[in-house]
Amino acid sequence: MTIDIFWRIPTHGEPSSHRSRTPHRGDWFPGNDNLRNASVAGGNGGFSYLDYIAEIAHAAEISGFQGGLIPSFPMTDEPWVISSLLARETSTFRFMIPFQPGFLNPVVAARMTASLQRATGGRALYNVITGGGGPSQLWWGDAAGHDDRYTRTTEFLDIVRGVWRGGSFSYQGKFYQVEDAGLAHPLSVQDFPEIYFSGSSDAALASASKHADYYLTWLEPFEQLREKFAKVKEKTDKLGRKIKCAVRVDIVARATEEEAWAEVAKGFANTDKATLDAFLGIDGSDSVGAARQRGNRPTTVNSYKDLIVEPNIWSGFNLLRGGQTQGIVGSYEQVAQRLDDLVQLGADAFILASTPHLEEAYRVGEEVLPLVRGQGSKQLLRAVG
Amino acid sequence: MTIEFIWQLPTSGDGRYSHADVTRRGERATPGHVPFTDGVSDPRGDRFNYFDYLHQVARAADITDFDGVLVPHDLEGDESWIVAGYLARGTRHVRLIAGFDAGWGSAVYAAKNAVSFQRATNGRFAWQIVQGHDAATRRRHADNVPDADVLARIDEFVTVARGVQTTAPYDFKGRFFEVQGGGFRGPLGGNPLPPVYLGGASEEAFALSARQADVHVLDAAPVDELRPHIARLQELASAQGRTLAIGLRIDVLAREDAAEARCDADLYWSQTRQDRASGERRTLVGSYDDVEQHLADYAAAGISSFVLGATPHLEEAWRFGEHLLPRLRARLAQDRQAA
Repeated sequence: MTIDIFWRIPTHGEPSSHRSRTPHRGDWFPGNDNLRNASVAGGNGGFSYLDYIAEIAHAAEISGFQGGLIPSFPMTDEPWVISSLLARETSTFRFMIPFQPGFLNPVVAARMTASLQRATGGRALYNVITGGGGPSQLWWGDAAGHDDRYTRTTEFLDIVRGVWRGGSFSYQGKFYQVEDAGLAHPLSVQDFPEIYFSGSSDAALASASKHADYYLTWLEPFEQLREKFAKVKEKTDKLGRKIKCAVRVDIVARATEEEAWAEVAKGFANTDKATLDAFLGIDGSDSVGAARQRGNRPTTVNSYKDLIVEPNIWSGFNLLRGGQTQGIVGSYEQVAQRLDDLVQLGADAFILASTPHLEEAYRVGEEVLPLVRGQGSKQLLRAVG
Repeated sequence: MTIEFIWQLPTSGDGRYSHADVTRRGERATPGHVPFTDGVSDPRGDRFNYFDYLHQVARAADITDFDGVLVPHDLEGDESWIVAGYLARGTRHVRLIAGFDAGWGSAVYAAKNAVSFQRATNGRFAWQIVQGHDAATRRRHADNVPDADVLARIDEFVTVARGVQTTAPYDFKGRFFEVQGGGFRGPLGGNPLPPVYLGGASEEAFALSARQADVHVLDAAPVDELRPHIARLQELASAQGRTLAIGLRIDVLAREDAAEARCDADLYWSQTRQDRASGERRTLVGSYDDVEQHLADYAAAGISSFVLGATPHLEEAWRFGEHLLPRLRARLAQDRQAA
């Protein structure tokens, strides 16, 4: 068995390095609503941010990544659109599409997915997310409550699977009902997309156990992850299914560990007080995953070193850019080793990211991925032990 | 008012003799179907499929200077948003009109996806929101809205989609959609709204278009039958203080001479098992001169958006683009000056 390694598409803007949030590529970065020019110099060459995203997708497939996660936030372009736009000009890049089931009719979603499979030769996959909740959920026009949303997710995936092979599928759920539904040929002969599933609450785990191929989590303290993976695998085993686990992690990999930390130190030094205060505060989300990461955070920070939580693990990544807090910092060998450590405690796939995503796709693909042993590291351990 | 010519893409199949069930271009129409004899090797395997063909039809419309392509709402075919995205980067100037019904999903999510299209295509994306099918068909597609609410939901869908694209913060609470503190900001705000194409023959549909549509597309009918509808639509729109373009969805079968056109039309209708009367109602059949005259008559009656189609769609896009578009544009400019 081999592990799958994905890259990330920075739909949420792209500074030119981890050292500073500016200058940047594309037309958006946190806290600035006014930037509109997609060209780096602010000129108008007729390019849009999608042109840059396309370059990253090409870099990722050239460098040996499976494909990429295309995050969706209120300020980003949408992954369904990006995937369809890039379908024709990519060869092996797999489009990992995050979406919240409540936003789409499930039969429409099945048709969209089957069409995308046809357009790409089966390169679409899902990252099913069920929403951070709170006021942001109503920004999206979604009024369902937290546990209700997981019921809806389960029903949604029941229907997408039910109609996928054609035929005549009926379903009476709380949120969705269909009568005699089924995709038409040739939509009905496509491969069903792999499902990466996010969510840390009990309701999420129950839904994931039923439908997910991969249980996807942010990086958390390693022992905490080991327990989490064991729990989700146990729940799934009880249902007679097998589930794999995947970790989404930002990295800073350099030839030496010193160089890697120097990069982080420069980024930390350029962090302004407002960003640091926000980092130490609490947001309004009811996401359990966000709380699990927040729990590991110190209350005062004077140096980037205060945020080193275990060897080569730094918990200040969202000071450098939005998103998760914890990531891996180290030499190429160390980063590969930490990924192998994660494989040993249950990870079967990774979504990696580093800024800037274009150049770093080549660096990580050329310097780190060849050092990762993946499942081979498990066999080695068994042989020694 | 400028006149636009839109080419309708054949999302559910296309072929030389309209036998799309046998010769779906680019892919095997039925599993296991082998088009060549045992004596000839076929290098294609399954490397190509229908998307490659649709791409070529869209390119034909783009190169021959159509104003847009319509990816129709087709519950049995490929999903229109995905098709439109697939075609976007291979085309340069055609408007990409995706057809769908308002049961697609959240109006906010639709608007947000539309903004991504606009940003990536320099504002070439448009919506054709259709009323769709009967209640039983809707239930087959997980959509339980009753007949009486179909238009009301389109109304709300357009309101909310426009609201979040133009206003932040945006709040709305209706019968079908609810938003709190919504609205797109930063690079997602202030993008060109996708023009909205609506249709329908009822007074209620006309009234909805008068309030919400950029274009109301009428089904094919003789020009004299359309005049009262055009007048009514314009009357309702001006009562709202709006201008509404009127469109016409019609097939064309144009040849160098009328006899050739008639012969091909009869052949086509017999192949597709359509009776001649309904075929004639749906299709302009004639010489290039005849078809030009018919279209000019529609334009004079107030039609400014022509949604055209002909089988096979690749060859006929080139034919219409080469033989009719240049002379039509010259003719319509002349007619406007004379008027």
